[in-house]
Amino acid sequence: MSLPKPVMRGLLGKRLRFHLPIAFSLSLLAAVAFKYGVTEPRKQAYADFYKQYDAVKEFNAMREAGIFESVRPSGE
Amino acid sequence: MFRAVFRLSTTGARSLAQPRLCNSAPVASRCYSHAKAETDEEFDARWVTYFNKPDIDAWELRKGMNTLIGYDLVPEAKILDSALRACRRLDDLASAIRILEAVKDKAGNHKDIYPYLIQELTPTLSELGISTPEELGIDKL
Repeated sequence: MSLPKPVMRGLLGKRLRFHLPIAFSLSLLAAVAFKYGVTEPRKQAYADFYKQYDAVKEFNAMREAGIFESVRPSGE
Repeated sequence: MFRAVFRLSTTGARSLAQPRLCNSAPVASRCYSHAKAETDEEFDARWVTYFNKPDIDAWELRKGMNTLIGYDLVPEAKILDSALRACRRLDDLASAIRILEAVKDKAGNHKDIYPYLIQELTPTLSELGISTPEELGIDKL
């Protein structure tokens, strides 16, 4: 039983031609998914928080809590 | 041939960022030269001639084998035959067996290549008295 001659050339090239486009596409997909799944919602959450943010109101709340040294709560 | 890679890529812009892999086996084959590409037969003949040098020295044998192993191909039986005979001229049994191990490794996951090459090389191996790694039991860890 004599073995037939197998393909012996270009084996790595064939593998790369198949796997590299898949690898690059999957990486790109992962990057796009992360951008739209994580970073954009995160940025939107910050934007939404600060849209209605009243800095003075927050400052006064912190002042009344007595955490500052430069201004004491309005009662003292 | 790389247009095939680019077609498979999903965007053309991304393909510019891909490293330029050049064509597989023959050294003389470059994507952008207008010299004629070396055929497989010419490549094989060149290497058979290299190892057939009657007064080849040990360095040339090692250099040749290391260069050959660097290519994207498993060497043809006739090249390996020539290399094994060079080992015989240099009284280097260790390199002869190492060549067989290297060839098995080059084949990677393609398990049909090594048995085929051993089949083709059996006359040479018995003539020169070279044992295969399997016969010596050194193919297992």
